Amino acid sequence: MTSDDSAVVELTDVRKEYSDSVALDGLSLTIRAGEAVAVMGPSGSGKSTLLNMVAGLDRPTSGSVVVNGEDLGRLSETGLALYRRRRIGMIFQFFNLLDDLPALDNVALAAQLTGTSPAQARRRALELLDELGIAGRRNVYPARLSGGERQRVAVARALMNRPALLLADEPTGALDSRAGEQVMDLLLDLNQIGQTLLLVTHDEGLATRCASRLVEVVDGRVARESRLERTP
Amino acid sequence: MSAVWRVARAAARRRRLQTIVIGVVVGVSTATMVLALGLLTSASAPFDRAHQQQSGAHLVAVFDGPGDGLAETAGRPAVAAAAGPFAQVTVDVAMTSRIGMPLTVAGRADPGGAVDRLTVWQGRWADAPGEIVLNEPPGERGPWSLGERVDVAGGRTFTVVGFAYSVSRSADAWVTPAQMSALNPDSAQMLYRFTAAGTAEEIAAAETAVTAGLPLLGTQSYLTLKQEVAAETAVYIPLLIVFGVLGMAVAVLIVANVISGAVVAGYRHIGVLKALGFTSNQVLAVYLLMVTVPAVVGCVLGAVLGHVTAVPLLADAFAGFGTTEIAIDAWVYALAALGMPAVVVVTALLAALRARGLSAAQAISAGSAPSVGRALAVQRVLSGARLPRSVSLGLGVPFARPARSALTLAAIVLGVMTVTLASGVTTSVTSYRAAVEPPTENRVELLAAPPRGFPGPQRLPEPTLSDAEDEALLRSLPGAAAVAAVARLPVGVVGGDPAEVYFHRGDRDLGPVVLSGHWPAAPDEVAVPSRFLNQRGLSLGDAITVEFDGDRTRLRVVGVVLTNPADEVYASWSALTALAPGTRAHSYLVELRPGSDRQAYVDAAADGDPGLTPIPPDEGGSSQAVVLIGFATLMTLVLAAVSALGVFNTVVLISRERRRDLGMLKSIGMTPRQVTVMMVTSMGVLGVVGGLIGLPLGVAAHALIAPAMMRAAQADVLDIVMDVYHAPLLALLALAGVVIAVLGAYLPARGAGRATIAEVLHTE
Ligand SMILES: Nc1ncnc2c1ncn2[C@@H]1O[C@H](COP(=O)(O)OP(=O)(O)OP(=O)(O)O)[C@@H](O)[C@H]1O
Ligand SMILES: [Mg+2]
Repeated sequence: MTSDDSAVVELTDVRKEYSDSVALDGLSLTIRAGEAVAVMGPSGSGKSTLLNMVAGLDRPTSGSVVVNGEDLGRLSETGLALYRRRRIGMIFQFFNLLDDLPALDNVALAAQLTGTSPAQARRRALELLDELGIAGRRNVYPARLSGGERQRVAVARALMNRPALLLADEPTGALDSRAGEQVMDLLLDLNQIGQTLLLVTHDEGLATRCASRLVEVVDGRVARESRLERTP
Repeated sequence: MSAVWRVARAAARRRRLQTIVIGVVVGVSTATMVLALGLLTSASAPFDRAHQQQSGAHLVAVFDGPGDGLAETAGRPAVAAAAGPFAQVTVDVAMTSRIGMPLTVAGRADPGGAVDRLTVWQGRWADAPGEIVLNEPPGERGPWSLGERVDVAGGRTFTVVGFAYSVSRSADAWVTPAQMSALNPDSAQMLYRFTAAGTAEEIAAAETAVTAGLPLLGTQSYLTLKQEVAAETAVYIPLLIVFGVLGMAVAVLIVANVISGAVVAGYRHIGVLKALGFTSNQVLAVYLLMVTVPAVVGCVLGAVLGHVTAVPLLADAFAGFGTTEIAIDAWVYALAALGMPAVVVVTALLAALRARGLSAAQAISAGSAPSVGRALAVQRVLSGARLPRSVSLGLGVPFARPARSALTLAAIVLGVMTVTLASGVTTSVTSYRAAVEPPTENRVELLAAPPRGFPGPQRLPEPTLSDAEDEALLRSLPGAAAVAAVARLPVGVVGGDPAEVYFHRGDRDLGPVVLSGHWPAAPDEVAVPSRFLNQRGLSLGDAITVEFDGDRTRLRVVGVVLTNPADEVYASWSALTALAPGTRAHSYLVELRPGSDRQAYVDAAADGDPGLTPIPPDEGGSSQAVVLIGFATLMTLVLAAVSALGVFNTVVLISRERRRDLGMLKSIGMTPRQVTVMMVTSMGVLGVVGGLIGLPLGVAAHALIAPAMMRAAQADVLDIVMDVYHAPLLALLALAGVVIAVLGAYLPARGAGRATIAEVLHTE
């Protein structure tokens, strides 16, 4: 098994090359259960690529990615899809909601992929929207939701299948500071009830507020790691 | 301009798949169009075309005597061109398939000339005494083949050195003028082309002008021949017109769909170009270039492909009319080569004009996120359905872009309609043929004594047993289930073409099916096919007068039988006894019990009477049926493939437009297979709907076309021809739409399932 039993994510010497560039250059990183890790770094340093590796959306050129004891390199495409479905929740800067489904159905979708009945999926989705404080907007289409509301819908969707790991790529990047703070608070609350979190952000203030550890990536490598005392 | 060119080139290259799809779709559509138009034009005028090619005679006039003074008629006012005089004589041939018909031979030095330029399609022209060239349509096999001898009454013998075809039917055979003099000709023919020959009146007027004061024996106008031929081609025409129109409609639809799709998919890109400072006209130019260049390339290749497919096909279909070379009119290529790019440019313009009106911001958002009120409602309903989510999501996809879905649907509808119509027509033709010519595998036909004028150069052994003994022998052999004896007599029919009478004795089942009335029993009763009645303006119950050996006999038509030839008459054996007493049966029809050994039976029969020669069963259907089925199959394949290509393109467009959605669905755990299922389902819906719409349309088209074809063939509109859509066939045909949709969608859907989407998720 892994070197550290409590490790949820273990990246070892991960390298990702594109035809004309090297996005990750021998990056290693371990995330333990219950941690909230913030990844920072200059644009183009490989942060999104790192997240894609952990999410199984892309495969490393070399090195290994192990999540919950499962080596992603050994999984087929379908295996990766099932892995994402059960273990991962993802949040993006631009929400990536389906425009032709209302909020509730966008959230319910994630559970329906696992075979949950529509009624049951909707029930759980409503609970989540309620917890996130937007149950009243459940029948609204994404185009009519504010950015903050959209991101909360995206968070609800990410949480639908109780993922072991929540991944967020600049979740506040497209939001104004107030809405951004609300989303950050939400993530912090989630982490405090035990949700493991891997977060990419440009905002150092938000990072220090909700992360327990800060990882700085430069040129596809971990340049600096630091434990953080959260500043509520 | 150079910026426009560079951007267009880059855009076409980045969208390589789309560029290829445009080229291929336009190419296949152009080919379909050439084929369709080629069908339409040649179907409408095979005779005119052949007549034109040969510079055929408007009038063939035969005069009494050696032909003195005929040459001067070429100078008379109505005449545009003339050939002749050619001496002509009618000879009796010892053996010929033209039973009861003598052979008209003309003396001609060469096949060319100003009028009636003959096509020598096999062998060569006669240039020595003793050589003869026979008049047969290219590809047709008459009783003789090249190099065989033709015995003429009076002890003369000719060698067949060539086959030529005269659309004007100026003679049955040709020999050299020197040879002709030796045959003591009694008449001479002149072949005329007139300055005005459009109508029967014009021909009649010209005829009076050229023949005045001369010993005229008879004339033949090309209009009469044309009518005869038209009756034959008329069978194809309804079907060809419908296929031609369907082909063009599908071609135009698909091209419109592909082109407008390409432009709509480019809205985002258009927005970016505008944001960069491109003017609206420059953007328009970029898009026109992007689609027109591959379209024009596809068009040229498609025209070539259409030519390569259409020419042999049409040549096959119309070989019987004497055209050795099928030329598709230049305007067909011109129309396809200009029309298709015009469709491309117009649809691109229409779609791009919409983009022109959009602001950069609108264009950017229009390109990626189509949202229509109805689509939302549909998704709403579907998301509650107890279906696998990938299926219910797929079901909603077509509603996001209703116009595009409608175009795709229309192509599927036409595809299904073609499949339905074609399988209906094929079934009609085959069941008609099956009814007319019962299956031969259990039938044996044995020739006992060749009837008068039976074709075939070889001498057949004489039967050693009597007629009655032969019949008894055949009945007693193991395996025989039914036996009928048949005698054939060629007879003249007063007031019409000669006919062949078939006298039947023995088991009735072996004769043709009786459609109405009853099978002849009394000596003065006959049954005839309905074409016999139709062509001679008779009906059931009327009497006909036949001439045999100089005697005239009145016979009553008491039944209508189902057979294809128009000049067959069926009668009972008692009629033969009355007409030609003592005639023996010429052949015996034997129906074997299922599973019997055919060869063993034939051998046993030959042991009993060496004079019983088996006639090999007819191979294949009639050429008309084969051609019809061939056309139907080809058009079905082409149109179904083009429809599937339209679906293919739609899926490619959707996958690109919705790559963010697809990426997101994958990020929350949709497997590649589920993505594939979703995309295939989205088109499957259109397939189901297309099937449900196309099926009744196809059935309706069949209901219109089948009777038209049967009437054109002067055959009866039988129930077996009309009732072709039975439940199993209908069920299969209803699936045709789904098959087209799934075939078209599968590859790009699988591509969408496999595509890496990581990057689209992090960007806007
Ligand atoms: N699909 C791809 N093809 C080619 N190169 C890529 C691809 N995705 C990323 N890259 C390259 O990999 C490097 C890392 O990209 P990545 O998106 O991970 O950076 P990032 O740290 O997320 O940047 P940002 O902060 O701007 O989002 C960049 O140089 C980028 O150009
Ligand atoms: Mg990034």
